[in-house]
Amino acid sequence: MEPVLSRNFHLPQPPGLAEYRAGGGYENLKAALDRRPADMIEMVDKTHLRGYGGAGFPLARKWKARGPDAPHPRYLVMNVDETEPGSFKDRQLLYRDPHQVIEAVLVTGFIEQADHAYVFVRGEYAEGARRLEQAVAEAREAGLVGHNVLGSGFDLDIDVHLSAGRYICGEETALLNALEGRRGNPRAKPPMPFEKGLWGAPTLVHNIETLCHVPYIVSRGPEWFNAQGINGGHGTKLYSVCGEVQHPGFWELPMGTTARELLYDHAGGPLEGQELVAFLPGGASTSFLLPEQLDTPMQFDAVAAAGSRFGTCGIIALGSTTCPVEFLIGINKFFARESCGFCTPCRDGLPYLQSLLERIEAGQGKPGDPDLLLELCAKIAPNSFCPFAPGAIMPLESGLKVFRDAIQDHIDRGACPYGGAR
Amino acid sequence: MLTDDERSHLQEHVARYPERRAGAIYVLQFLQEKFGHLNDDALAEASGLCGLSITQLDELVTFYSLLLRRPAGRTVLRICDSIACHLAGAPRLLAEAERLTGAPLGDVSEDGAVTVMPHVCLGLCDRAPAALAGEREVGGLDTASLGELIASLRAEAEG
Repeated sequence: MEPVLSRNFHLPQPPGLAEYRAGGGYENLKAALDRRPADMIEMVDKTHLRGYGGAGFPLARKWKARGPDAPHPRYLVMNVDETEPGSFKDRQLLYRDPHQVIEAVLVTGFIEQADHAYVFVRGEYAEGARRLEQAVAEAREAGLVGHNVLGSGFDLDIDVHLSAGRYICGEETALLNALEGRRGNPRAKPPMPFEKGLWGAPTLVHNIETLCHVPYIVSRGPEWFNAQGINGGHGTKLYSVCGEVQHPGFWELPMGTTARELLYDHAGGPLEGQELVAFLPGGASTSFLLPEQLDTPMQFDAVAAAGSRFGTCGIIALGSTTCPVEFLIGINKFFARESCGFCTPCRDGLPYLQSLLERIEAGQGKPGDPDLLLELCAKIAPNSFCPFAPGAIMPLESGLKVFRDAIQDHIDRGACPYGGAR
Repeated sequence: MLTDDERSHLQEHVARYPERRAGAIYVLQFLQEKFGHLNDDALAEASGLCGLSITQLDELVTFYSLLLRRPAGRTVLRICDSIACHLAGAPRLLAEAERLTGAPLGDVSEDGAVTVMPHVCLGLCDRAPAALAGEREVGGLDTASLGELIASLRAEAEG
């Protein structure tokens, strides 16, 4: 397979403007500027391209929901707030090919007829944000960004906004608050951001990986894009595997590549002396899949049919010598700390769950703890304000079922059968 | 506190947004870079630039994990303790860092060189366990290389 998004990743340094252009860069932008936005929306609609930030909403449907008559000013926001544990694909796009990111913003901005674009980068990716800012300055100098892009009459300026931390800011309405200089608490929907987003104006927020596909689609066509996928998937995907495997890493592969191929052929299989016990397919906030589900194609519908969520498709593997309760503690620690604190079930419920898991791991679990944990999961998720808590509950609730025997063993023995926490 | 040039640079930045407060994060980051943390004087300066009250700024600083209201060491070492790094030994590294610096997590080491904190996933899961020393990424840590890293941060602070 010919790499698309990662075609410049082999270079020792991210390509500058000249090098990027020499490899065909910004040709897709030229092609896009010659087309009508409405035609390009139809092209993308034929690809089934969905959001790769975790939610998986079809891109063209988002465009159609906002419609061509939305009032101005209109904002475009590229979301580079990747903080999902086990996901490190967006980092590669930002750090390794900043001009590809700019081209994606320009083409999307033209399709949306946006007036201003913001690239929202998590604070921990400061170095990547600087590289992108330099690339934007270079592109502006060359007439690619700002007034009258490539003489087309279309204007679009791009601002890189470096955020200051917190996972929740990747949720699109929290992101809007963060960008406006407020606490990153999620907003109520409706109104949807495409109706009232930044400063009350129509705003579309998209993940970086999703948008990086757009210039190729509008230039090469939806048939070309769809043909890149296998097993019911469309296009290519930046997959990653981490956790207890021999060679954690990331690879651009056909969408629909099976979990087995990713975990074994690319990531080298479980660590020495371990067997694969389970894996989270789409980052931390998804349900566990089991070894008997390894042949599941990693694409949205197949992962949903297997009972989990495609998410960002950052796979996290759990090996047989690690205590599954400790794995759940490691997952839930993140969510308990990153809760934005706005609503009570999430703010107080997740630390309570954590304390129960910790006492089970310490050999002080009580006979009713597994049921209490499940009851809390069932109460926290539906009663919280935004998708954060349901995401936090997903691995826990599924883990409580999948690892029921191991948890019970902790309680019966009054000790961790795996030898306790690290 | 700020030089005239710095202040006009910040004024220009906040003026780029439809509302001045949108520039607050940038202003706070700039002040923190210059002064190490956001003390009362820094917030007073930010207040004038962004048109926000001290209380409103405090709301921001206490929300965003990369903004520091309390004094920090010359380098802030953020050790990732999310799942991939946790599995690869982050809890052990955090305990070792406390031992080496002699300061509890979040506190400044006695020589003022370093503050160690646990941090959320840094997107370095393929190089777990990982950390950010200031803005520099470090992967594949073990107790030995963590010791060397902290020693080098202390040497930098002295030199």
